[in-house]
Amino acid sequence: METANSEKIPLISLIGAPNSGKTTLFNCLSGKNYKTVNYPGSTVEYSVAPFLPKYNLNASVLDTPGIISLYAASPDEQVSIDSLSYHPDYGAPDLILVSVDSSQISRHLLLVKQMIHSQFKIIVVLTMGDILARKGYKVSESILSERLGCDVVRINSKTGEGIERLVELIKKNLEPERIIPFSENKKEENYSLFDSFFLKKCHHDGSQRRGGFFRHRHGGHHHGHHHHNVEHHRHHFDEQYLKDSHKLMHIFKEIENIERESLVKIQETIDPKKLDKVNKQFTILNNKPDPFTVKIDRLLLHKYWGIVFFLLIMAAMFTCIFWLASPLIELINTLFAFLASSASNALGNNWLGDLVTHGIIDGIGAVFVFLPQIIILFLILGLLEDSGYLARGAMLVDKPLSKIGLNGKSFVPMLSGFACAIPATLATRTISNRRERFLTIFILPLMTCSARLPVYALLVAFITPVSKPWIGGITMTGIYIAGILVSVIVAAIINRFPEMIIKEKDESSFILELPTYKRPVWSIVANNTYMNSKHYIRRAGPIILTLSLVLWFLTYFPNSNPTVNENNKTQEQITEARNEIRLESSYASSLGKFIEPVMNPIGLDWRVGTALVSTFAAREVFVSSLAVIFKVTASGENIQESLLKTMREAKISSTGQQLFTPATIAGLIVFFMFALQCISTIAISHKETGGWRIPVMQFVFYSGAAYLLTFITVNGLRALGIQ
Amino acid sequence: MKTAADLKLGEKAIIKEIDVNHPSSQRLIEYGFTPGQDIELITQSLFNDPIALSVRGSLVAIRKKEADCIKI
Repeated sequence: METANSEKIPLISLIGAPNSGKTTLFNCLSGKNYKTVNYPGSTVEYSVAPFLPKYNLNASVLDTPGIISLYAASPDEQVSIDSLSYHPDYGAPDLILVSVDSSQISRHLLLVKQMIHSQFKIIVVLTMGDILARKGYKVSESILSERLGCDVVRINSKTGEGIERLVELIKKNLEPERIIPFSENKKEENYSLFDSFFLKKCHHDGSQRRGGFFRHRHGGHHHGHHHHNVEHHRHHFDEQYLKDSHKLMHIFKEIENIERESLVKIQETIDPKKLDKVNKQFTILNNKPDPFTVKIDRLLLHKYWGIVFFLLIMAAMFTCIFWLASPLIELINTLFAFLASSASNALGNNWLGDLVTHGIIDGIGAVFVFLPQIIILFLILGLLEDSGYLARGAMLVDKPLSKIGLNGKSFVPMLSGFACAIPATLATRTISNRRERFLTIFILPLMTCSARLPVYALLVAFITPVSKPWIGGITMTGIYIAGILVSVIVAAIINRFPEMIIKEKDESSFILELPTYKRPVWSIVANNTYMNSKHYIRRAGPIILTLSLVLWFLTYFPNSNPTVNENNKTQEQITEARNEIRLESSYASSLGKFIEPVMNPIGLDWRVGTALVSTFAAREVFVSSLAVIFKVTASGENIQESLLKTMREAKISSTGQQLFTPATIAGLIVFFMFALQCISTIAISHKETGGWRIPVMQFVFYSGAAYLLTFITVNGLRALGIQ
Repeated sequence: MKTAADLKLGEKAIIKEIDVNHPSSQRLIEYGFTPGQDIELITQSLFNDPIALSVRGSLVAIRKKEADCIKI
């Protein structure tokens, strides 16, 4: 009757407060063999994995983001809490393990009490007993278990102590028919089934939700036999119990009593002299924060020095992006130029060769060229977050940001915006105030995202004299700083008209736990960076490649094989002449000439106009579009160099004027700073704000400003005598 | 009545009551700010806002406006 093992293995969810040792416990149960998946349609990430074979338990374990209470204060928390009673992909968990930091039980037991009250089947897992032991205490499992009315187990994730007992308790708490022993000879099969099951999940998008993937089917086979049917697992959250302040304080009183009863001294293991000292230090148990963290914070969060350190850390971060990303971008450019020229040589000078070199290889190159910045930025962000500094950064900028209608919690999304506006928009979900969240989303497209870097690199290289490379560095830094300033100004302006963003008033707040400082875990940081980069490639890659192909088609047809007068011409000249005629009579040309009247006032012609139109799908297309339109073939050198050479020679055909001058280049930089040229950003903004108002406003406002300011820049510079 | 917003750097106090009418009171209680608890002002940022308080062994950054509902 059962079709596949993977359809009926029990699901065990892990929840707990942030930094309660939840993820370490997860790694202990599952090894490193986990997959990180998103909750359908959100950024909330889950790790799922099977139990390690040594536990002889055929079940999967799901790690969830940390929460401190069952009452959600932000959209992100709502998703996490909803998934406890019912997850659209994995169904309802059979059992929930709540991790509790032994040295923090007076705070962490709140969630436990709420879970029990909401009638979840739970096991309390006590972690970090070693920290409590240093204070001379331990938590008595039996007393706590009796007082809470659920199973309690003390574990040490480092030594593995208590894990066996935890597994025994899991088996005891699962309904007997749900326990499928892990058989050694079926190992391969189990894993492959598991893999295919979760791979399927990874490709699952919101529109394909099949609620209760395995639970539904399983329930269908066993009508009324047990309680795995979805309906039985829908938990009713008692709003009154979760929300009422007096009730909450009452729960804390109960918890304090429980704490007092279940904490027992472990005198025998500690030198009495030492213990006395420890006890003096902890006169009221558990209310001292980590002394090491406090010491560092006195410096890093110092009233004045804190700002200095903050600016230094930010400066170091952006210096890393420039210094590390630029050579990597150059490397990728060179690599793709090499591929293009070899393909061109191999396929010959015909439509296929042109498609492969200009359409496909340049297109894929355009996808990869922004990867260095994304990877470096997410790597640094991950290190800052994992070490505990990111929350402090948010605290430091809360005051200034609140002046312009933002929140300290806008800080992390804004930083991510320097990689890409898409993950940044999703990251705004931690902001509980709707107006602040929407305003943050509104200004995110102004951050200098990685898609703009190749464009700026090209434009800045054009105006940088070879003898003075430092001018390029200063210009680039100036562009980044200008991006930040512009976003601040825009936020301040929009904040003057709060009704534009959202009608209703919403109480602003900033409450953020500052985690204990710790050494970042490389594997976690690396995995997050990998996930973010992959997500980005998947999202932007197809759009960029498709556009590249469309643009190639528009520039190559209809007159794909023009005839030219071949008299007295070398083969090279003939090819060049044919390219020129082909382009002049192409679809792109007709389209470009149609918009030329709009381009002329800002000093540009139809060719740049066409490239700009293509960038409204994705900015990074600009460089490859220019390359396609100007028919730049990189023979040996990298695309940027050949393109720069062509750009220096390009003239506006009607007037014979130079097309690219310092004035028009400055104009283009201004255009790219403002214009919302990214379909994915508009789509995500629509989804996250739940309507078209904000994305339409963003598009109209930013594109209008881009054109107007480019016009002012170009003509202003010309009036000043700069051509 | 004095509130947590009046604390000086390094100053300790015991929470007397929480103003439950304040919109942020619920979150503050969830973080463990309840009557009888010890708090200490660990750091304050430029402009003296937000401030970082220690409560029940952890550090929590809150705005002065929120600290106002913690009566000491």
